[in-house]
Amino acid sequence: MKIRLIPHCLAATLMATALATSVPNLAKAEDVTLTVWTHEADEDAKVAFRELAARNLEKAHPGVTVKITWYEKNPLLAALKTALPAGQGPDVLYVEPDWTEYVDAGYLEPLDDLVNWNNIEPWARQVWVHNGKTYGVPQEAYTNEIYYNKDLLKKLGVELPANAQFTQEQFLDLVKKAKAAGITPIAQGVGDRPFPGAYILGEALLRKLGKEDYRKLWTGQLSFEDPRVVDVFKWVKELVDAGAYPKNFMTLKLGESHYYFYTKPGALMLPMGSWYTGRAFVPVEKGGQPPDFPLGIMQFPAMDGGACNQCKTSAIGASFAINAASKHKKIAAEFLDAMSTPEMGKRWIETIYLQTGIKADVKQFSGPHAAYFTELMERQKGADYFIGGPRDLTQGQCKDSFAQVMNSAFPGGLLSVDEAVKMMNTACYKG
Amino acid sequence: MLQGVGAAGRGDRPGGGSGLAARAKLFASFRGGGREVDARRAAPATLALFLAPALLLYGGFTVYPVLRTFYNSLHTIKPHNVEEFVGLANFAALLHADPVFWKAVGNTVIFTAVATVADVLGGLLLALALFSRAPLAPLLRVVWFTPVLMSYVVVGIIWVWIYDYDWGLANMILRWLHLGAFEQSWLGDPHTALWSVMATHIWKWLGFNMIIFLAALYALPSEVLGAAELDNCGWLAKLVYIIIPMLRPTILNLTVLSFIGKMMIFDLVWIMTGGGPLWSTETVSTYVYKRAFDWNTFDLGYPSAIAVLWFAIILAFVVVMTRLLRQRDRIEF
Amino acid sequence: MAPQALDWRSPLRRAPLLLFLLVYTVVSGGPFLWVAIMSVRTTPEIFASPYALPSRFHWEKFVDAWTRSNYGTYFWNSIIVVVTAVALLTIIGAMVAHCLARYRFPGDRLIRFVILSGMILPPQLLILSLFQILLEYHLYNTLSGLILVYVAGHLAMTVYILEGFFAQIPQDLFDAAKMDGYGDFEIFWRITLPIGVPALFTTVTLNFIILWNEFLYAVVLLTEDDKRTLPLGIMHFMGSHQLDVGMVATGLMIAIGPVIILYALFSDTMIKGMTAGAVR
Repeated sequence: MKIRLIPHCLAATLMATALATSVPNLAKAEDVTLTVWTHEADEDAKVAFRELAARNLEKAHPGVTVKITWYEKNPLLAALKTALPAGQGPDVLYVEPDWTEYVDAGYLEPLDDLVNWNNIEPWARQVWVHNGKTYGVPQEAYTNEIYYNKDLLKKLGVELPANAQFTQEQFLDLVKKAKAAGITPIAQGVGDRPFPGAYILGEALLRKLGKEDYRKLWTGQLSFEDPRVVDVFKWVKELVDAGAYPKNFMTLKLGESHYYFYTKPGALMLPMGSWYTGRAFVPVEKGGQPPDFPLGIMQFPAMDGGACNQCKTSAIGASFAINAASKHKKIAAEFLDAMSTPEMGKRWIETIYLQTGIKADVKQFSGPHAAYFTELMERQKGADYFIGGPRDLTQGQCKDSFAQVMNSAFPGGLLSVDEAVKMMNTACYKG
Repeated sequence: MLQGVGAAGRGDRPGGGSGLAARAKLFASFRGGGREVDARRAAPATLALFLAPALLLYGGFTVYPVLRTFYNSLHTIKPHNVEEFVGLANFAALLHADPVFWKAVGNTVIFTAVATVADVLGGLLLALALFSRAPLAPLLRVVWFTPVLMSYVVVGIIWVWIYDYDWGLANMILRWLHLGAFEQSWLGDPHTALWSVMATHIWKWLGFNMIIFLAALYALPSEVLGAAELDNCGWLAKLVYIIIPMLRPTILNLTVLSFIGKMMIFDLVWIMTGGGPLWSTETVSTYVYKRAFDWNTFDLGYPSAIAVLWFAIILAFVVVMTRLLRQRDRIEF
Repeated sequence: MAPQALDWRSPLRRAPLLLFLLVYTVVSGGPFLWVAIMSVRTTPEIFASPYALPSRFHWEKFVDAWTRSNYGTYFWNSIIVVVTAVALLTIIGAMVAHCLARYRFPGDRLIRFVILSGMILPPQLLILSLFQILLEYHLYNTLSGLILVYVAGHLAMTVYILEGFFAQIPQDLFDAAKMDGYGDFEIFWRITLPIGVPALFTTVTLNFIILWNEFLYAVVLLTEDDKRTLPLGIMHFMGSHQLDVGMVATGLMIAIGPVIILYALFSDTMIKGMTAGAVR
């Protein structure tokens, strides 16, 4: 992940300018209530982060009240999808990059001239650029990683290569070994999410095809019957048949798969976005990871003849946008800025242990999980990033088929390679 | 409730014997039976007063949105209230080029048919058990009704836990009975998922049907049952020849209600499986919701078309069903 | 009345039937009991052994849920919304049902058709236009707006049940009352309603249960935390992230409580009323 070093003085200057430019607004901004709707109500660290930004803004602007409404994801979607078409909704809203319909519909305000972009990583900003305009301020960034239990790996007598990446044969072998030892190889479940089941398959496709063809695959310009694609499906099918996934794969929920991995019954690996920390680094009694858990991170396996085995998915998650119908766009933009200062970026990393689209100074990084974050950064060395995942690139029937076939039925062992490839092609391939 | 409550009701029905009718006649006889006043007519102002609050509310908060949905189904809705008239294109696409829709129709029909029959028959059997004074009947009546009191969210979550492969109760019991070979990923296998959700749905609503039947049974004239007893009529014969025919209005009403509810099944499926795996539990309502909220689009035209078509189909079924069963007066649409 | 359809004392017949009753009782009541037990256990305890009895009763979880999670507010919002909506539904519904059951007038069939077809409308689609209507009337994000939507949405079922019952009240009774000089409203008030008590009980109970658990409309039509109802509150516990099963169970118990109490209080009245009240 590209977390760059910014000289402190620069950050300070930026802060100063941000404050300076906001002063003239003081008079105008009296008694304004800024409404914010956001997801992630149950991630305490993120709640604290955004509430802090709100209080900071209120301090800087007497008379401004920031009112944050916390939602679960599906209720948030239902509320937004009804409120926005009616010209209603909050001033500031939580968005994710694959929610392109909001951009297409014109419900989001272009932010190019409203927000202070000096604090945002350019690559992260790029995710939100559509037709030359930027519609969202990226906050959360993540990479796809395979988390594993170091002790279990040792117990199986397997050593992680120096580059932390197995070959596809080694990986298959590892799965078989774990299974033989009575350990669930991969704790993954698709009970409440349309993507986790496709982590292995998707990352393998990226490495095999390389960035360009991988993009073509999702945008309907490359057939799933391409021999390279079929090879990857065949390899994943071998994993599935070897018992890589738990028996309750189909119904295991995202939160439960974490618990399954590190507590009960325990599994060797958990492929997950690096937002893994949001659920794992909480107290044990809240379902978090035990403090002494031997957590390790490995790369997704290298594919035979892979076009880009150093490739890796990096994506933007939580982002914020301004409702085009908002009456307080200036203040709203300042709230976005208040969440994106270098100080806040640092705070994000130190309290949430996750990458961010905010430019932040990692040199100063500390905190109880510092070692974890160091290892995460270690795994980013030499990585060639593909920005965005299948769900950001697909739509409609193709997106639905991705969820049903590649995320669920195929890794769930319900489909043969031929059937899966055919179903995906019908839904996605436009050639 | 429904018809059942008043199985005694319906003064015109033979055997529907009724103290009420008798009392009314008595009452009427005091009056000398004159019929100068027609109680079936009322002044327009009176009618208006009775109907106005309901019609206003109903018109504003139901009829108008429905008309809007009909209108939407003929359009493609674009952002900022731009509507493009597309005629029947949405319906054509639905009927000719949407395999998921047909899959959803199939699932919904199976679900409705099986669950409706199970609910009505099961409810009747349970009611008969309580009616024939099973031990602890008053307690059982409360226990059996508890599933009805729980929301779909609660029921869905509990049953997802019960069906869990590893620690779910269903598989635990199978293992305990040494039937481990039958253990399943109940909601994860396309062959069992629909049936598992159905079992949960039936579980939730059996108690409701039971209560209605129970009330109807208690309202049966005891003389008839007593006479049957004197005739030394076996309980099965009594059930088939006396009880069921007399409960016909209740049975019909529950069937129709059950049918309607199941044709629109949404919450439970949404919570338990979200329509998966491989669309094996996709129902028409979940598909409507997906097309309206889950797909990357703000177009309400297409989902509206599905809703309109489905509305028409349910309506037709209800009409046919009531006609077939030759029920007079009730549910005449 | 002493029906004796089955002889429970005959051991041969009794055994399989009793077994069936026992099994069904466990199946129907078990899950509730399970949640009740989990509601006084902590999440780690539950994960360690999902089906065990509580080693210690953690009653403090209820206090925790009530205070820390704003549950008190949700609870009272639910009470306000549901009680008002059910009261309105009962009165308005009874008026329509009485009118349709008693009087013949031009357009009666049309009105019945329109109202009853409300039963077969998929709610998911009404929501979008409802949202806009509420905005126009400044009822969006208010409890009153939600109440009105609930009343309109459940009117069809209420009328269907009440009218079915009212239609069975013998016409003679009304003819007689009319000749006694009763006005139309007196007839409604003094004859239809008292005789219709069992049916009214049924609609009250049914509507209460359904509305108490309603989620879809509430989530879209209420946005402020202070206005949320209980089902939305439960969702708060059920965040997709940490799976705090124990707290979810506690939340569920608080939510189910009032409905159970209502049913326990009224089930007897309801059934007795259904059968005896009207006729016997």
